[in-house]
Amino acid sequence: MPCLYTFLSEINMKAKSIKGETPAAFKTALTDCLTDGFKPILAIVFMSIRQDRKAISEILKHQDIDLFGATSCGEFINGYQDEGAIVALLLDLNRNDYALLFEPFGDRSLPETADEIAQQAFKTYQDPALILCSTGVNSKGDFMDGEKLVNSLEVALGPNVTYYGGLAGDDMTFSGSYVFTHDKETDFGIATLVLNRDKVEVQGMAITGWKPMGISRKVTKSAGNLLYEIDGKPAIDMYLKYLGKVENKEDKTFDVISELSFNYPFIVKREDGETILKTPIKIDHQENALVIDMEMPEGTEFWFSIPPDFDIVEKIMEEATQLKSTSQTTADALLVFSCAGRSPALGPLVTLENDGLAEIWESPMAGFFTYGELGRGKTRKQYFHSGACCWVALTEK
Amino acid sequence: MNKHLQNICNLLQRDEGIAAEIKDLILKSLKDADKELTIAEFKLDRTEKVKRTTSILLEETIEELEHKSRAIEETNLALQKSLEELKSTQAQLIQSEKLASLGELTAGIAHEIQNPLNFVNNFAEVSAEMLEEMEEELDKGDTLEAKAIAADLKQNLSKINHHGQRASSIVKGMLEHSRASTGVKEPTDINALADEYLRLAYHGLRAKDNSFNATIETHFDPDLPLVSVIPQDIGRVLLNLINNAFYAVAERSRSTVQQRASVGVTSSHADTMYHPTVTVSTQKTGDHILIKVQDNGSGIPESIRDKIFQPFFTTKPTGQGTGLGLSLAYDIVVKGHGGSLEVVSKENKGSEFIINL
Repeated sequence: MPCLYTFLSEINMKAKSIKGETPAAFKTALTDCLTDGFKPILAIVFMSIRQDRKAISEILKHQDIDLFGATSCGEFINGYQDEGAIVALLLDLNRNDYALLFEPFGDRSLPETADEIAQQAFKTYQDPALILCSTGVNSKGDFMDGEKLVNSLEVALGPNVTYYGGLAGDDMTFSGSYVFTHDKETDFGIATLVLNRDKVEVQGMAITGWKPMGISRKVTKSAGNLLYEIDGKPAIDMYLKYLGKVENKEDKTFDVISELSFNYPFIVKREDGETILKTPIKIDHQENALVIDMEMPEGTEFWFSIPPDFDIVEKIMEEATQLKSTSQTTADALLVFSCAGRSPALGPLVTLENDGLAEIWESPMAGFFTYGELGRGKTRKQYFHSGACCWVALTEK
Repeated sequence: MNKHLQNICNLLQRDEGIAAEIKDLILKSLKDADKELTIAEFKLDRTEKVKRTTSILLEETIEELEHKSRAIEETNLALQKSLEELKSTQAQLIQSEKLASLGELTAGIAHEIQNPLNFVNNFAEVSAEMLEEMEEELDKGDTLEAKAIAADLKQNLSKINHHGQRASSIVKGMLEHSRASTGVKEPTDINALADEYLRLAYHGLRAKDNSFNATIETHFDPDLPLVSVIPQDIGRVLLNLINNAFYAVAERSRSTVQQRASVGVTSSHADTMYHPTVTVSTQKTGDHILIKVQDNGSGIPESIRDKIFQPFFTTKPTGQGTGLGLSLAYDIVVKGHGGSLEVVSKENKGSEFIINL
């Protein structure tokens, strides 16, 4: 099967994006795209947990291509979007200009792991930039705390190191997501692509678009990821009642995430005034609590939300165009980390969004639907996001 | 693809009469149309769903807010009622404060009235005797002596009248103190007002505790002009400050005696070590006049200095003070007269309250 969509940069790093619904199809797509003499060195792979990661590794190994990968909740490249497939961004980046780090957490804490990543990154390059994929949920169903991850990275790397990335998905099964390289994979760790910023420019942005609705609320009872009470009232009752699903309260099969919270997550105010989306992922009937993807400590101020307006796609394009124009650079390759909630909330518009970004940067693009996004927002501060479209353009200097 | 568009595609593909290039163009347009149709359908569907959900959320929020609003209204009503009760209680307390200060004055007033009454009685008795003498002289036919006695009698009657008026003025003052303020400012001799209340307060305290002694010093500015004040109100302020000053020196006096006694120093010796003194002074400074009430009591601890003008704050034992005296004094001076009331105090040195009008 031929490459569905390829761009070939005239100068600098060459890149192509390929996809396949099976390892065999992926292999064909890879073979096809090498026929013009393209010799990729690194493959950034996003794929469904249903796909055979080992098989993909072998295919790439056979071509002496390094592997940096994460599982997904849907995958896309230029002009193509799917669920259950394999996509890759192939780069002929010089091996001296990148390094792959693989850090399973094991018994280490997030700050310890972040410290290790920072030490390795600074040891490799004086001015590193990172593409970072963390697992989103492990096989026990525990969610990665993205806020803690970013806070730990901020401490370890300092505020000036740029990094973008996403939390790996698992086709929304919450059964375990993975990050992987050729020989290693984990459902509880971080894979990092460290780039030499003296040679590779990295620039990107993260935008959500969800808006607060109604009056501000306060968490009055919570423990960890369990949200028991909002404004002194049972959280489940309030969430379902206020969003018109009160009749489903006792229905144990009611899928709160697909029926409601993809479109209506909570908007939480950060201490610095910025916001973050926190999403109820299921109902814990035994505890009579909403299970949130991130902790919502007691006292947290938040709002119910409404999904982005349809013009969010144009807004994201405008911001990307402006950044491109301001930086006066082109891109050799583009990665997009789009929240898994954007696809149900924006439907076919999310494809326009991803393809639109690739068109603006005129470059091969690959991306996946994530359980969380890492990147700088409009304020240029590094944040953990949820519900965001986070893109990063790579340009060899 | 939309089934109608798919039909067109199928028909188009089957039609061999159309050139391949044209077919491709039409197929591309059909695909674009399908894409736009899909987006339009999605937008319509999502708009409808979001509209419905938003409407429910807003309705629920409005209902919740209305419920909260009703609860707030009920709370407000209850608070309003409590406020009215509080105001009523405060009014009663203010009245009781006036009565309390009147009670403190009673002994002093009695003492003050007793003096002119003594004069009236004495002069009346002497006059009665002189009338008898005059009758005797008239009987003797010594009209010259009788006229001399009559002249003395006239002087006596004048003195009786003077002391009677003095008593009358004290009673009037007492009535004025207990009456609600007229709220009318009138030119007032502040020195006389301060002197009167100083003496009343001192005799009042002495009447209650005859062991109490204090040196009273006055430094009244002789050039003090008449000041436009509400005399009843400023009198009340002075009385309160002077009473507090006496209370402070009395307390220190008592504690000094107790301390000395506990280490074996005799009371008479202790008395010589501490001289309770209350000083009242007036002073004209530019357009302002200062009235100072100073004591050499124990002083006001730093920790409570910013609370002493708060209503219901008192250091006196329960039942002995309403805690309204200084608060009312502050209101009278600051709100009623646009002046200031400040305190300077040092622990173990004493306090000075300064009224600036």
